[in-house]
Amino acid sequence: MIQSNDKPSVRRLAWVTTASFVVAVVVIIGVVLPAEYGIDPIGTGSAFGLMGLSRVQPIAPENTEYKTDVLELELGPTEWTETTYRLAEGASMLFSWEATGPVSFNFHSAPDGASPGYAESFDAKETNRAHGSYIAPFSGTHGWYWENLGSGYVTIRLTTAGFYSEVYQTRDRISGSRSLRNARGELLDQ
Amino acid sequence: MKNDTRGLVFVGIGLALVLGGLISPLQAHPMDEQNAAFVQSIDGIAVFPFMYLGAKHMVTGYDHLLFLVGVIFFLYKIRDVVLYVTLFTLGHSATLLFGVLASIGANAYIVDAIIGLSVAYKAFDNLGGFERIFEFRPNPKIAVLVFGLFHGFGLATKVQEFTLSQTGLIANMLSFNLGVEIGQVLVLVMVLIGFTYWRHRDSFGQYAFATNVALMTAGFILTGNQILAYVLYS
Repeated sequence: MIQSNDKPSVRRLAWVTTASFVVAVVVIIGVVLPAEYGIDPIGTGSAFGLMGLSRVQPIAPENTEYKTDVLELELGPTEWTETTYRLAEGASMLFSWEATGPVSFNFHSAPDGASPGYAESFDAKETNRAHGSYIAPFSGTHGWYWENLGSGYVTIRLTTAGFYSEVYQTRDRISGSRSLRNARGELLDQ
Repeated sequence: MKNDTRGLVFVGIGLALVLGGLISPLQAHPMDEQNAAFVQSIDGIAVFPFMYLGAKHMVTGYDHLLFLVGVIFFLYKIRDVVLYVTLFTLGHSATLLFGVLASIGANAYIVDAIIGLSVAYKAFDNLGGFERIFEFRPNPKIAVLVFGLFHGFGLATKVQEFTLSQTGLIANMLSFNLGVEIGQVLVLVMVLIGFTYWRHRDSFGQYAFATNVALMTAGFILTGNQILAYVLYS
């Protein structure tokens, strides 16, 4: 606490405390409200050009080709399939999929140049649908692994739109060997 | 310059500091979205990521920093600094661990508003406001402990916003807490170096009053911002 000879008077303390509070209120109304919340009650936000700060940049232009795909994947009991997309870092993709029965999925991404079998998982659940948007955190292959949990056949209908360059597909039984195919079913080297 | 004018100049500097923080992408509690996604994906014990997050939270969360500046402003003996910082640490560790383990979470904006108020409270106390205006000064040691409890509750609430995996929860929480203390020591060392240098100069006596007025204003703005967030987002 402020000591001895220069102890402030009650009057001065009351003055600065009130001033401090009033300044805080003025700043909150005049600056914080427009800059942080996009609300401009006294017009200072537009006067000082603060209104854009709280707004999300609505458009992110892309230079790569725009693609859309609809895939129907049928899985028998114990079968799994993996569908991945080649996306460069920062490229985006919208997706929506729905399965006719219960499946477990894992959305994962393998960075270019990573050792075989390495992938980072971003979402994994047992469900029969999911949709959303994805922005690739690094260049590589990004996509879903699905496994049929039921004893009958399920069909997964996957719709994607975005800035990917290629689609890869692998499928097999859970105990079986793996082979990598592209979307047209052609066998790829692994 | 008259003292009151000087006080206003410092209020301005305090504002600039707070607004600089508000408008930059660093919010008072910046757990970046990348950090959040990473924490959510952790299943099991991850000592160093959680330690890092704890330290980062302390070093970049300037409401905690301003409170610490207020607390040690007039502590001249290193023994007192250690005592007050220990009380603060006991307070926030207790509620951080208890809050997470008992899954108690308050509204983060309300807790952060109280933390902002703790900055204004400490500055007002430093100015001698309680003693002079109310003729009663609440025990500062108890006050720092009680505000420590609120700060820890804020930490617990924030951490629980990331759906933490139950696997390794205790180890991860302790790592986060340890990180908080490391961050606090880092900050304290810097602030203490600054104060040691400043205290032996005439300007300390001249500007101590004005600096605490600035601190109080910053505390009011932090509080107001959190109240707004509560009203508009909750």
